[in-house]
Amino acid sequence: MILGRIRYAAAAGTLIVGLGLAGVASPQTSSGTHAPDPSRGAVIAAQGTAAGAPGCAQCHAFNGASDGSGAFPRIAGQSASYLGDQLRDFSSSVRANAIMTPIAKALTPDDIADVAAYYAALHPPFPPLRNPDPALVKMGEQLAKVGSAERSIQACDNCHGPGGVGEPPAIPYLAGQYAPYVALELRMWQRGFRKNSPDQMAEVAKLLNEQEIAAVAAYYQQVRGSAELAASQ
Amino acid sequence: MAERLKAVDMVTIGVGLTGSLAALELVQAGLKVVGLERGAPRFTVPDFQSPAIHDELRFSIRKAMMQDNTKVPVSFRNNSSETALPIRRWESFLPGQGLGGSFVHWNGQSFRAQVADFIYRTHLLQRYGQKFVESCGADLTFQDWGLTYDQIEPYYDRFEYLIGVSGKAGNINGQIQPGGNPFEAPRSREYPNPPMKETYFGAIFRKGAEQLGYHPYPQPSSNLSRPYTNPLGLKLQQCVFCGFCERYACEHYAKGSPQTTILPVLLKNPNYELRTNCEVLRINLDSTGKKATGVIYVDGAGREFEQPAEMVFITAFPLNNVRTLLLSGIGKPYDPRTGEGVVGRNYTYQTTGGPTVFMDESINVNPFMSSGAPGTMIDDFGGDNFDHSNLGFIGGQYVGSIMTGGRPIEFHPTPPGTPKWGLEWKQAVARHYNHTIAVQQHGTSAPSRLNYLDLDPTYKDAWGQPLLRMTFNFPENDIRMSQYIADKVVEIGRAMGGKTVVRGGTKRPYTTTVYQSTHNCGGAIMGDDPRTSVVNRYQQCWDVPNVFSLGGASFPQNITYNYTVTIGAITLFALDAIKNKYLKAPGPMVQA
Repeated sequence: MILGRIRYAAAAGTLIVGLGLAGVASPQTSSGTHAPDPSRGAVIAAQGTAAGAPGCAQCHAFNGASDGSGAFPRIAGQSASYLGDQLRDFSSSVRANAIMTPIAKALTPDDIADVAAYYAALHPPFPPLRNPDPALVKMGEQLAKVGSAERSIQACDNCHGPGGVGEPPAIPYLAGQYAPYVALELRMWQRGFRKNSPDQMAEVAKLLNEQEIAAVAAYYQQVRGSAELAASQ
Repeated sequence: MAERLKAVDMVTIGVGLTGSLAALELVQAGLKVVGLERGAPRFTVPDFQSPAIHDELRFSIRKAMMQDNTKVPVSFRNNSSETALPIRRWESFLPGQGLGGSFVHWNGQSFRAQVADFIYRTHLLQRYGQKFVESCGADLTFQDWGLTYDQIEPYYDRFEYLIGVSGKAGNINGQIQPGGNPFEAPRSREYPNPPMKETYFGAIFRKGAEQLGYHPYPQPSSNLSRPYTNPLGLKLQQCVFCGFCERYACEHYAKGSPQTTILPVLLKNPNYELRTNCEVLRINLDSTGKKATGVIYVDGAGREFEQPAEMVFITAFPLNNVRTLLLSGIGKPYDPRTGEGVVGRNYTYQTTGGPTVFMDESINVNPFMSSGAPGTMIDDFGGDNFDHSNLGFIGGQYVGSIMTGGRPIEFHPTPPGTPKWGLEWKQAVARHYNHTIAVQQHGTSAPSRLNYLDLDPTYKDAWGQPLLRMTFNFPENDIRMSQYIADKVVEIGRAMGGKTVVRGGTKRPYTTTVYQSTHNCGGAIMGDDPRTSVVNRYQQCWDVPNVFSLGGASFPQNITYNYTVTIGAITLFALDAIKNKYLKAPGPMVQA
C-alpha cells in the first residue's frame, strides 16, 4: 500500500509538469491513511482537477479570502476538519448547494484532504468593506454575546467561541465572515436545505427572525481583531 | 420587629427543584404562592452564557454556585465524642444557592429507584431474615418509605417527561428491553428522548463489562440527546458535550433545570411571586404548636418580614430542611443516646469512589468531550440485584465509566508513585491526561443510629442562629459493601485494557475534604409511623400538618442511585394528594 502511494505521488508530479493547466489527476480511492498534502491542495485550488472540479480560487480566491462580494464565504483559516466535512456534505447533498455539490462530487477523498489542508493554513488580510449600520451591529452583538432571555435564544459565542473565533476543529469561526454568507446559511438551515446540523444550527436558526439574522451577520462581519491578529502572524 | 405582610396561601422556603415544582402545581390550582429564595435570581440568558460560565476557578474551585458558607456553613464531626467544626470550604458535598438551587449545577444523572428500595426493611427481612440483617450491623436502622414503587411510577413518568430525560428503557411493564438496564424497575413507557451518544471511554467500559458477562447500558441523562419540548411547552436544546456540567449551569438550554423546564411558566403566573435574596429564619407556629402561621425572613437589605401563609413548604437543600424544622421547633429532635425523637434521625449519604484505569498511550480518551451524564453503566451490583446471603453486608452500587469533562484544574490523573509536584508530576500528567479512564462506583448508604443531624451548641450563622451539626461516619456495612464491589470493578478495569488499575472503594473515616456526592439524604424522613418518621408518605409533617418538608431529607436511607428524579417523583406524588385531598379538607392526610 505504502509503496503504491509513493508511486502515485511521483506520477501525479509528472502529470502536473506535463499537463499544466489540465489540473491534478487523482486516484479514485483513498487509502484512508493519506497524509494531507497542502502543496497538492494549492494546485487544486489554483487549477482544479482532471476529473473536472474547477479551481477553488475562481470564487474563494487563491488566498481563501474570496472576492469580497459575500456570495462566497471566506474559507482561509477555517479548520481542515470543518472544510473537509463541508465538502463531503456538499457531495452527499446533506448540505444541498447547486454550485458546490457538483464540484465536491468531482473531488476524491484525497483531493478534499489536500485542499482543506491548504486553505486551513492561510491567514490572508481582509478586503475593505462598507461600514454596516451601527444599530444593526449593536443588536447583533447582543445576540452573539448574550442571546435573548425573552425568546430563549442562547449566545452564538457559546459554541463559536468568544468573538466568534471558532472552536476548531468542529465549529467554524464567524469572526470576519461575510455577512451575506452568514445570513444565507442561517436561512438555509431555517428552510431545511442545509441539513448538516439539524439539532443545533437548524434549531437556533428557526428561533431567529429576518432582522436578527441580518444583525448577527452584520456583527460578525466586522469582528476582525482576533482574525487580523492571526493574519499578521 | 418584623413587618407583617399580606397573607398568602402557600410559601416555599427555597426555590429549587421542589420549590418551583410545588409552587407550579399549586398556582395552577389557583393558590397564591410566594417563593422565598436565599440566593440571587439567575437565568440561562444572560447569567449562564459562555465564556464566563466556563470559569473553572470560579465555579469548580471557588464554588460560586454553592451555599454561602461564610454566612451559613454546616458543622461536622465523625462521631458524638468529637467537637464539630464548621465546614468553611465545600468539598465533600455542594449544596446549591440561588434561583433553581442545586437543580442548576447538577449533572443530570437521572435514575429511578428500584421496587425494593421503597420497602427496604420489609424486603431485606423477607429475603434474608432478621438474623442476617442484624449481623450486618447492630446500629443499622433500615426503614420502609410508607409508599411503594407502583404508587409513584406515574409520577416518575411525569417528572421524566417534564425534564426530558434521555435514556433507553430496560423494562417496560415487565418486558425486558434490549439495550437498557435489565435490572431497572418496570416503567410504563420509554424515556422521552433516546439515550445520549456513547463516549469512547464508555465504549471501552462496555467492552470490558460485556467480556465479564455484565449488562452495560447508557446512563439516563437530563442533558438532552435532542431538541425537546416538554409538556409545559418549554423548549430544550441538544447537549453539545461541552464538558462543563456539574458545578456549572448550562448555557445551551440543554440540561433539565428549573430555568429550562419549570420557571418560565411559573414566573408568568399572576398567582406566583418570587422573592430572591430572602433568608428564612424560621417557621412560626400558633399557640398550639400544631399549626404554622407563616415564616419570618430577612431580605437582602436586612429588613425582617413576617409572611403569613396557610401552608409552608420547606423546599431547601435536604440539610437545610432539617435545620429549618429544628430551628422552628417542629417535630421532636432525635436523641442518639435513647434513639428517641425523629428530626435529624437516619441522616445518610452515598458510597462513592471507583478505580482509575490507566490506558496505553495509543488510546485517546478525550475526556473533555463530555456531558454531565455520559456514562456507560452496569447495574449488576446495584441495590439488591445480587445475592447477599453469604456476603455479610447489605446494599450495592452501580458501576460506570462517567467522566464529565476532564477540566484542566481538576483532572490530573497520575499513577501511584508519581511525585505530587515538579517536573516528574508534570510529565506524568502529560503522559496520562488523555489516556486515563475514571470508573465510578456509586451506591447505597445504610442508616445508623450513630449518624444524625442536630443543632450545633457552639457555632452560629450570620443571623445568630445555631448551625446544623452533622455527625457522620460510614457504617462498617457500607465499607464491606464498597470494598467487595471494588474488587469486581478492578477486574472490569483490567478487561478494559488498563495497564495499571488503581483500586477504588469507600474507606473510613468519612472526610468532608474530598468531593464524593451531593446526595445528602434523610434527617426528616418519611414513613408510616410518627415515632420513626418526621413526615408521612405525602411529606406532610406529622406534628404540624400544614408544613410539608419536600425532597431528599425524606429518604429513610439512601438508594444506589443519584436521587434527583426520585425527589421529583415523590414531590409530584405529594402535590397530587395535596391538590386532591388536602385542599378540600386541610389536616393530616394519613392518620397516625
